[in-house]
Amino acid sequence: MDVIRRNNVHVAGRGDRPIMFAHGFGCDQNMWRYVAPAFERDFKVVLFDHVGAGGSDLSAYSREKYSSLQGYADDVVEICRALALTGIVFVGHSVSSVIGILAAASAADLFEALVLIGPSPRYVNDGAYIGGFTESQIEELLKFLDSNHMGWSAAMAPTIIGNPDRPELADELTNSFCRTDPEIAKHFARTTFLSDNRADLARVRARCLVLQCSEDIIAPNSVGEYVHAHLPNSKLVVMKATGHCPNLSAPAETIEAIRAFV
Amino acid sequence: MSVDLEDLFENAPCGYLSTGPGGRIERANATFLRWMGYVQGELAGKPFQELLNIAGRIYYETHFAPLLRIQGFFNEVALDFVKRDGKILPTLVNAVERRGAAGELLFTRITIFNATDRRRYECELLEARKAAEQANAALRELNATLEARVASEVAKRVNAEEAFRQAQKMEAIGQLTGGIAHDFNNLLTIVIGGLDMIDRQLQKMSASPEAARIRRSRAMALDGAKRAATLTSRLLAFSRRQPLAPRPLDLNRLVIGLADMLQRSLGETVALETVSGAGLWPAFADPSQLESALVNLAVNARDAMPRGGKLTIETANAYLDETYASAAPEPVKPGQYVQIAVSDTGVGMTPEVLAKAFDPFFTTKEVGKGTGLGLSQVHGFVRQSGGHIRIYSEPGQGATIKLYLPRADGAAASQPGFEPAARMLAGGKETILVVEDDDMLREFSTSALNELGYRVLHAKSAPTALELLRSEPVDLLFTDVVLPDGANGRQLAEEAERRRPGLKVLYTTGYTRNAIIHCGRLDAGVSLIGKPFTFEELARSVRAILDRN
Repeated sequence: MDVIRRNNVHVAGRGDRPIMFAHGFGCDQNMWRYVAPAFERDFKVVLFDHVGAGGSDLSAYSREKYSSLQGYADDVVEICRALALTGIVFVGHSVSSVIGILAAASAADLFEALVLIGPSPRYVNDGAYIGGFTESQIEELLKFLDSNHMGWSAAMAPTIIGNPDRPELADELTNSFCRTDPEIAKHFARTTFLSDNRADLARVRARCLVLQCSEDIIAPNSVGEYVHAHLPNSKLVVMKATGHCPNLSAPAETIEAIRAFV
Repeated sequence: MSVDLEDLFENAPCGYLSTGPGGRIERANATFLRWMGYVQGELAGKPFQELLNIAGRIYYETHFAPLLRIQGFFNEVALDFVKRDGKILPTLVNAVERRGAAGELLFTRITIFNATDRRRYECELLEARKAAEQANAALRELNATLEARVASEVAKRVNAEEAFRQAQKMEAIGQLTGGIAHDFNNLLTIVIGGLDMIDRQLQKMSASPEAARIRRSRAMALDGAKRAATLTSRLLAFSRRQPLAPRPLDLNRLVIGLADMLQRSLGETVALETVSGAGLWPAFADPSQLESALVNLAVNARDAMPRGGKLTIETANAYLDETYASAAPEPVKPGQYVQIAVSDTGVGMTPEVLAKAFDPFFTTKEVGKGTGLGLSQVHGFVRQSGGHIRIYSEPGQGATIKLYLPRADGAAASQPGFEPAARMLAGGKETILVVEDDDMLREFSTSALNELGYRVLHAKSAPTALELLRSEPVDLLFTDVVLPDGANGRQLAEEAERRRPGLKVLYTTGYTRNAIIHCGRLDAGVSLIGKPFTFEELARSVRAILDRN
């Protein structure tokens, strides 16, 4: 199986130093459209889709492999080796932060630095640990997903844009954004929200930047602090941007924060 | 906003929301507030996604908000709002961003449709689809096996119908002939009665040529009437309406007792062999009807062996189980039976003949040579006795007709002189010469016969036996068919009978029937018990032979 095709890998940029952007739960590599281009002058920019999202090969999806985040981490390492990259800066959003941590733990020789945007090693509260969600809330989420609502499939399927306010998107009429196979998304949700990778934080030797968003219900402040505290070599930056996707809602601030770190 | 527009906005049939650049609610129309149970002002400043259930909040942050950001809108997303009282409001949401000249986000306009009904339909549809898929799978499964199941059911049905039809046919014919036979019997009674009366009158008359002529005519008429009576009794037998007097029978004894008559029916060119089954259960049947059935079969066998051959009658215990019963051409009740098998080495039957063998008036013989009633009579008698009959035959391979008679409860009581209650076996005072090379067996036979009261002489070989015969009066020679030094029992018997005319012979053998055949034919009237034989079998066989004259 050709890894490049499997993960819909795109490489751009004039630089030698590789910077790899990994999208998180929901969406695909399109979510980096306002951030990634800024690095093309100085870096070799690598973009990809996790299996099950965007333009990835859906037939490569295996429930067994991807029932743990390690499956996704293995894919990341495979891509890096297939492209013969070294000294990689890995930028992971949301659950891809943890995927990056797992990849760096198992293949430390590949990664020089990690940028973790809205990371969370565990979403469900556990005693003193505040993950942001109660167990019953996550159960409710999973039950809701299982109840098979048809309304989300349409929204997440390819759509054609016809937005007068955004003329620059006109020539992307046939493209689609944030494509996710709804069934795979359900399983990814399960894998993500039931994960617990707190113990893996200590395994990362590379230097890390934790970008914490304000008012992020998915990865609240307490989680960002926890991650920073348990990574052996990390820096914590609290952003002004609100919500879970600063790379979309506040791309300038995001680019700035990354640049300052790398 | 003018009053008109305000009215349109506030009271639209859908909910309108406006959020600022930070995603917080700035405006909500009356319809939406009413749906949600909030009053004007209560929602101001709240982040939009806080109104959603947990799944909606998570998915909005991770999927729909990014979509909105990249694409500028999203349409028809099913979201569940949580009303003020905690109840759920299922909706369809459209959202679109409004940006300023510099591309900065000004508002997000959100339109909300009440999707309560639609959500319900969706659920019903999904349920129905699941049920349909399950039904489909079950149907496919059923279809795959349908052909096979139909085929087997049809086969079963056809078999059952065939068996039933056969039984019905026989029943119908039986009724018909039975009725006719009864009427005939009554008429014959009158005829024979009349002839008897003539006879009585004749006896009063003095001898004269006319009287003699009348006497001859009467004899002819009586003979004809008697033959007619025999015929009607055969018809009755076939129609299973004859009166039967079944009782427990020892078939071995019956067959041995019948051997003489059978041999006479068979003639000289056909050898008769009887094989008595060991430990044979008593059968429950009418002895005289069984005897006539066996004679019938013997006659049929004889006719199938025009150039001579061999007829074997074997008895054995049998258990007919469900498997046999379900495959049988006629209904048969599973259980224990006593089997009599009559085998010949004749021309055999083709499948076509086999199929009609039991049909009344079906005959393969030329006109005048057979009534075609014989086998159907036997069949009728066996069925009426609660038994089962089966023919095995192939062209050129002879035929075996197996009669299965029900096992009697209790011990057999065949001929008078046999006490079923007591275990007493009839012995005798005759002299028996036992010829057997196996020491232990010879001793057993000798002491058994001694116990029965016989005077027993014994020899290990033919020469010794002949020596003994010279000096002693012997009534019965009991010898193994195969003897040492190349001699065989038959030769011994021949020589013995020469020296002592009227000597009776009982053979025994441990070999199979085929082996006996290869040893040479056994003559007419020969009796044989197979090894191992029990004390009782020995006693009965010996007594039976000695009783024959």
